[in-house]
Amino acid sequence: MVAIEVPEVNYTEYSNRQLVAVPLAVLVLALAIIGGWYLVTGAPANLGLEFTGGVELRIADDGDDVEQQIETAFDRQPDSVRSIPADDVYVVTFRAADEDPGGLADDLSTQADEAGLSTNAIDQVSPSFAADTARTAIFGVALAFLGMSVLVFALFRTFVPSIAVVASAFSDLVIPVAVMNLLGIQMTLGTIAALLMIIGYSVDSDILLNNSVLRRTGEFYESVNRAMRTGVTMTLTSMAAMIVMAVVAALFGVDLLRNIGIILSVGLCADLMNTYLLNVSLLRWYKFEGVKR
Amino acid sequence: MLEPIKNNWRILLLVVVVIGATVALFAPQFGPQTAPGEDSSEAQQGMTNLQYGLDLAGGTRVRAPLLGYTATEVDFDGDRPDDVARAVADELDGASARDVGAVAEENAVEVTDASVSESEFRAAMDASGYAYDDVRPGVTQETRDVAQSVIEGKINEAGLSGGSVQQVQSITGEYFILVEVPGEDRSDVIELLEERGTVQIDIAYPTENGTAIQEEVLIQDHFEDIGTAAQSEQGTGAYVPVTVRNTAPEGEQSPAHGFQQAVADRGFDSAYNSNQDRCDYGENPDDVSKPCLLLTVDGEVVNSFGMDPDLANSMASGSWATDGGFRLTTTEFSEAQRISINLRAGALPAELDISGQGTSRSISAAQGENYKNYSLVTGLLAVFAVAGMVFLRYREPAVALPMIVTALAEVYALLGIAALLSYPLELAVIAGFIAVVGTGVDDLVIIADEVMSEGEVNSKKVFDSRFRRAFWVIGAAAATTIIAMSPLMVLSLGDLSGFAIFTILGVLIGVLITRPAYGDILRRLLTIR
Repeated sequence: MVAIEVPEVNYTEYSNRQLVAVPLAVLVLALAIIGGWYLVTGAPANLGLEFTGGVELRIADDGDDVEQQIETAFDRQPDSVRSIPADDVYVVTFRAADEDPGGLADDLSTQADEAGLSTNAIDQVSPSFAADTARTAIFGVALAFLGMSVLVFALFRTFVPSIAVVASAFSDLVIPVAVMNLLGIQMTLGTIAALLMIIGYSVDSDILLNNSVLRRTGEFYESVNRAMRTGVTMTLTSMAAMIVMAVVAALFGVDLLRNIGIILSVGLCADLMNTYLLNVSLLRWYKFEGVKR
Repeated sequence: MLEPIKNNWRILLLVVVVIGATVALFAPQFGPQTAPGEDSSEAQQGMTNLQYGLDLAGGTRVRAPLLGYTATEVDFDGDRPDDVARAVADELDGASARDVGAVAEENAVEVTDASVSESEFRAAMDASGYAYDDVRPGVTQETRDVAQSVIEGKINEAGLSGGSVQQVQSITGEYFILVEVPGEDRSDVIELLEERGTVQIDIAYPTENGTAIQEEVLIQDHFEDIGTAAQSEQGTGAYVPVTVRNTAPEGEQSPAHGFQQAVADRGFDSAYNSNQDRCDYGENPDDVSKPCLLLTVDGEVVNSFGMDPDLANSMASGSWATDGGFRLTTTEFSEAQRISINLRAGALPAELDISGQGTSRSISAAQGENYKNYSLVTGLLAVFAVAGMVFLRYREPAVALPMIVTALAEVYALLGIAALLSYPLELAVIAGFIAVVGTGVDDLVIIADEVMSEGEVNSKKVFDSRFRRAFWVIGAAAATTIIAMSPLMVLSLGDLSGFAIFTILGVLIGVLITRPAYGDILRRLLTIR
């Protein structure tokens, strides 16, 4: 049977600068992608229906060329048509029209009925509500992040180790958003939940590391390796659950679960890098140089 | 005798929680509340007491604001609210006095006629001379409460069981009405909510210049004893039997007498002498030959009809009012049903703006069933993935097996809580369960690693000190998760509050019950050899 052994990393071979370089480069790249997205599209990410407004229909695929029927059934061009074979449905999305947002869902559902398509689900989001949701979501993420930061500072009561946790949590949030943009995944309420979850999850391994180094006796590298053995196992188990959830939910077309799965998988990956490169090097600097000052 | 209990109380607590969850899930006493006319086996969905929400059972959810404008901090100047409302209504063209309301407790004046714009309302407020602070979109708290109970009434009258109505506030302070009706498709629910349901009777009568209309001969308030819709004995029509109220405050005419008077004045008795005489409003509405009663809903004429000669005579002679029995006839049975619902539940005090600023979600029952199965499969596979990783890492069943069992016990306890609270399961809640398995196992890994580090565990003391150390990390991690999730619990972000609530509950159950129990199990397995 294959066993998972967490490898011991020999940190002494690398300087702090070298260790920090990788996560910082990735963070800067991620920020650049998000910034670029903002400049080009006017939004930091691909906003989904819940943040733009519009109508989404799930149309049953009863076999006879539904895709073709969808092309002709509606008097507006759908913004996207996705097929979900495992659930035998097509998901058709219409963005809210600027000129006349009212009555879109009614019109579309009537048109679908007239074309003989059977609709399994209809989601309608008004643009004004969508703008409201976007503000609420940003507010929620900011509040959660702030709360987490305050709590971390209260727990460790020293600046460098605390800021190390907060910095890697920030990077854990930013990297998945950039990856989402690159993979073409839309920002939905599910992804917001996942981002908040990352704040909760990713801080676990950072706290474990800080606790092991600061509050436990023992040599620095020994402490790091001990925390790493546990932390990597934790992150990998969570990641396994999330990857399975993402794959299975994607097959079945359960978007909410799929999005949460993908974002958390990416976020946990980013967390591995940030905890064991960024956080470790900041802690080492603090332990060997920072304290003496 | 007490010693084993004292030593193992953490494990016992977990066992008690699991038993409690089982009771909550399966005992019929904890079954879902039944709607009127529904027996308990119908209310129960599947073999457990779990309730499934919109995503998993199918149904429709609509969230929309009530249309209108409210002037805040109005100085009533000692005037009666009715007078204030009338003064403002007088300044508004085309708005009826019923569409303007003044609420003394809130110092607010509102207009609920959707055709009145904000600037028109401001102008009317200025012209009325009452000082006010500002005008905001939306209606007063009082109107929202009335609207909520009217919608509840409509849903019940329409026989849609299990529907719920709430008021929610967005981050910008706007209020929305949130309606959820399980098992119904979108069009039925929207049809029910979209119309305000103001029912009234007008009289159309012939004059030299064509048809004239006497409006509001009977309005909603005038009806009592509203019957259920029934099919006409003859012909294709249907009707709603009602009684017109024959009571009135001192010195005023009762509605029944008022109606009788109006019918007599318009000459129904001379126009309708036999059953062959018919109202011809339907054919030439602009030039009727006989007086007609017009049944209007939300300002639109739904049906027009004449009068039975006997009834017309009894009205003309003045004997009808004491009894006051009357039939509101319609051409379609479904129309009669809608009118009956509207009369019983009352009219919405303001229009729900569903198509404009509304948000709706509708899922068919079949799709819900699919989601239910898919999320079950997804959850199970996620648990297997976690179990697989744990076995690969520890390769020791004594450590790994209790880990998986405790993680599952945590989810089971959460399901028990969901059943106990009758909290409807949604996809988001399922995602919360999976997240709980993830964090739960994380913490168990911390405990296992900490306890087994630095050599053999050979005494309870060594174990306890290591366990406590592990617990500091777990507590800190749990606290961050709770803090990170708590904004979602209160912000109005759709389903996500369910996700947050169950993640937080899961973390709490984990820290307080399952993780200490896992510690005890591990201790027994490691120290007693």
